[in-house]
Formats: sequence, C-alpha cells, structure tokens
Amino acid sequence: MKDRAAFDLLYRQTSAKLFGVCLRVLKDRGEAEEALQEVFVKIWTKADRFAVSELSPISWLVAIARNHAIDRIRARREPATYIDAALEVADPAPGPEAAVVAGGESERIYRCLDELEKDRAAAVRGAYLQGESYAELAVRHGVPLNTMRTWLRRSLLKLRECLER
Amino acid sequence: MTLAQDDGPEPGGDDLFAAEYVLGVLDADEREIASRRIDADATFARLVDAWEARLSPMAAAYPETEPPIRVKEALDRRLFVAEPRSGLWSSLAFWRGLAAASVAALAITIAVPYLNPPVEPPRLVASLTADGSDVRYLAVYDAAHRKIGLSHVSGERAAGKDFELWMIEGKNAPVSMGIIPAGQIAHMTIAPAVQEKLAQGAVLAVSLEPAGGSPTGQPTGPVVAAGDLKSI
Repeated sequence: MKDRAAFDLLYRQTSAKLFGVCLRVLKDRGEAEEALQEVFVKIWTKADRFAVSELSPISWLVAIARNHAIDRIRARREPATYIDAALEVADPAPGPEAAVVAGGESERIYRCLDELEKDRAAAVRGAYLQGESYAELAVRHGVPLNTMRTWLRRSLLKLRECLER
Repeated sequence: MTLAQDDGPEPGGDDLFAAEYVLGVLDADEREIASRRIDADATFARLVDAWEARLSPMAAAYPETEPPIRVKEALDRRLFVAEPRSGLWSSLAFWRGLAAASVAALAITIAVPYLNPPVEPPRLVASLTADGSDVRYLAVYDAAHRKIGLSHVSGERAAGKDFELWMIEGKNAPVSMGIIPAGQIAHMTIAPAVQEKLAQGAVLAVSLEPAGGSPTGQPTGPVVAAGDLKSI
C-alpha cells in the first residue's frame, strides 16, 4: 500500500511532462497513451536503475520516456513510409521552444545551438524533440544520409565543446 | 552542396555513438545495439548518461499535457492488481513445490467444513530486494504448514559464503530463520518461536554470512535483499 501511494505521487507530479514527451515524438494520442503506460511500468519496475544514474530525477524520467517513444516510432515505421512521414513533418521552428525556455541551463544550450549553422541547429532540435532519424532528417533537409550523419556528429562535438567552455 | 566536403576526418567512436543514441537519430537496429550496451557496459552507460545530462535542458521545450484518467486507471490495474498475480503464476516451478501440501489442505477444507468453521490459513508473500544488490528472492509463507518457500530470482552468493534468512518484527532484533539452501527453489521449516511472530508486516531479510551462517546469532554481513510480508 505504501508503494501505491508513492506511485500515485510520482504519477501526479510527472505524468503531464512525460505525456508531453510521448505526444511530441509519436504525434498520435492513442499511441502516446499506450506509450505513457509502458513508460510508467518501466519506471516502476526499473527504479533501482536510477540509483546508478547521475541524472536528476526528472531528467532520468524524461530520458526513459523519450527513448521509449523513439523506440516505438522506429519499430512502427517501415523505411519506405518514414520518408513520407518526414516530408509531412513541419520544420521545428525555434520560436515556440525559445518561448518556453525559462533560463539557466536551457538558455545555455540554446546559446550553444545558436553557434551552429541554422539548418544544423534545426536538425539537432528536430532529432532531440521529435526523435527524427538520420534518414528522415536527410530527406527533409535534402542532403544525402551520410552528409546528415557528418553534420550532426560535428554539431554534437561542437555543442559539447561549447557547453564545457 | 558544400556540406559533404566538410574538412577533417569523419568523427566516430563510443562517445559519439552514445551522443547519437541520446539525440535519437539512430535507426532501430543501431538503437537496439546501443541499449544492449547500456545494460552490459558500465563505461558506455556513463557516456550515455553524460549526453543525457548535456542535452536534457532541451526537454524544457516539451509542453506539459495532462493525460486522460484512463491511463492511470490502466496502470493501477496493471501494477497493483494484475501483476502480482501474473508474477506468481509465471513462477510455476515455485508453486509446484507447494502443490502437494496445497492439495492435501484443499481436501481437508472440502471434507471438514462440517466439523470446523472454515478458517483461511494466512498465506503471505514478500518480494526481497535491496538497493545496490542484484540478489532477489520471492518468498511465500504457508502458515498452515509452517513452511516458507523461496524462489531464487537472481544474484549469486560469493564463494565460501551463505545467504541467511532473518525475520525482523517491529523494532526487535533480527531472528535467524536459518541458512537458505542453494538452488532455484528452497523450502525452509519455520521454528514455532519464529512462527508466533511471523505475520503480515514482518520483514524478511537476507544477509551474506560466512559459510554455515552468522557466528554471532545476529547478521554480520551486508543485507543483500529484504521485503515485508504481504497478504495475498
């Protein structure tokens, strides 16, 4: 019974954020609901893993939700159809995200993203927030897959260098 | 397109693989490989964690959206009603050990209601785990037969060591219930003195002790798993 009260509290405090993650990545309400359920089962049964992670609790929970949702879209999409899906997805504009940014750590990462070329920063954001694959990003940005891979790898290294500066 | 001709060698390596996993750009097969490595390779898992920490501020952009109540209802059913039952059912081997006794008890229950008021003997279960330990046991206490059945889920005892089972009731000192026999399924008979105090809410704990058990009568090694008895 004690466990259940703890779970209720965890759910109350985090489900809206984690549902936001699932919705954004999966873009389908029914599937996001299913994913959210699976995410909480995972969290509940793997809570011991948190002890070895250095992440803050909410970052750890978001990471589980993001990774689960991304695994789901990868499993869902056949190579042929995810290209179509990529074409349908609008370019994630920096506008709405910048508006949500409260400051501090978020401000810093956006400052570092600003140091990247514009389309590369957009690709990084699209990948992180929506779980877009190299293949999808390549189609949307009109570049070969390997070019996209090189872009993003270099961007990740630059980001790290900027964040550690 | 000049982008393909960026200077410098193609970057690579584990750190970038971890970064790509966190960013979310890998395909299904690559993600599968990464997630297996996270489980098996602590160094790689740390690289992944570091990238999660670096990129996590971007998650501030996810808007909060209240999920419908049916998600919580389904979770409650799944985690707090359905799972314990399926967990027990799935360890059929464990139940097989108690089967003979149960059948005998059932026969008595059917035959004897005319003679005695039907009293349900308490059956209590405990899931024994601990932070920082991979030792897990599932314990079922069958009060009617003064027996405790232990299903060994995971975690090995070190060479030359034994697992000892303890009962902790309230604030009292732990009482030894004996060395847990090795093997997937172990049965232990409960001493009458212990049985008197063994009830719902009592805690069962497993400690790592020198071979043959604690020399002092109290736990001397680390508690590698513990849990409280709950009624089923």
